[in-house]
Amino acid sequence: MDKLKEVLAESMAGTPAVSVFGLFDVPESVAVTWILMALVTAASFILTRSLQRIPGGRQTLLELAIGAFNHFCEENLGRHWRSFAPWLFTVAVYIAAANLAGLIGLAPPTRDLTVTAALALMSMILIYGAQFRFRGFSGGFKKFAQPTPVLLPINLMEIFIRPLSLCMRLFGNVLAAYVIMEMIKTLAPAVIPIAFSLYFDIFDGLIQTLVFVFLTTLFLGESIEENE
Amino acid sequence: MTLAIGAALAVFTGIGAGIGIGIATGKAAESIARQPEAADKIRGTFILGAALAEATAIYGFITALAIIILK
Repeated sequence: MDKLKEVLAESMAGTPAVSVFGLFDVPESVAVTWILMALVTAASFILTRSLQRIPGGRQTLLELAIGAFNHFCEENLGRHWRSFAPWLFTVAVYIAAANLAGLIGLAPPTRDLTVTAALALMSMILIYGAQFRFRGFSGGFKKFAQPTPVLLPINLMEIFIRPLSLCMRLFGNVLAAYVIMEMIKTLAPAVIPIAFSLYFDIFDGLIQTLVFVFLTTLFLGESIEENE
Repeated sequence: MTLAIGAALAVFTGIGAGIGIGIATGKAAESIARQPEAADKIRGTFILGAALAEATAIYGFITALAIIILK
């Protein structure tokens, strides 16, 4: 139980430092992110090498995935979807990789509050940046008073509530899954954790990826939608 | 001891989230059965609602952690 408490305190206050070649210290989440970056870069390189006009098996799968995601963006974002789809897909790949990092024995970076806070801040900048980019300066401000001016304070509060809830949701879910897995491992160290790991590590991790990207897309679509 | 009771009370927010997500899932299944062609839109609304309902449970969990760790 004391170990659990230690882990909890660590993930609230930032993960412990890892020394890089004895030169300088970086937080554990940064080091794990570097490993994930290497893996994802290698995977993208292998997947996009020698693309053919008539796709083979590997390329067909890739095109299906990208096509489905582009369709999803087009449906939710309307006319301007093309500039946002690559960023949203990158975030999806990163969060999925981070949530699944537990499977290969790494500490998931999304268990660190600072990582999810950074992701949520980027979402916030994207949402409100796009609002001013596509509506113009005065149009961007007018959006806060829509649909009725009565909602102005609530819309202004949402600027801070949305990133906070995005951040806390991802962090809380990953941490909760981790805590429950640790408890199960203490109670039944053999075999039984496998079944729970399938749910908590794979299913929950992917669902949270979906929820984060989906909510960002939804908020984004709401802030750039046109009233024809 | 009182700390543990406080943390346990904070985790009771899970009840609300559970009921909320249960109702949302039931209604989503019902409306997809009624109108299968609208399944995509219903799924989107359902995920949004479930995520918002689930957030309350997460806030309770984080509050409980804060009670135990930060004292």
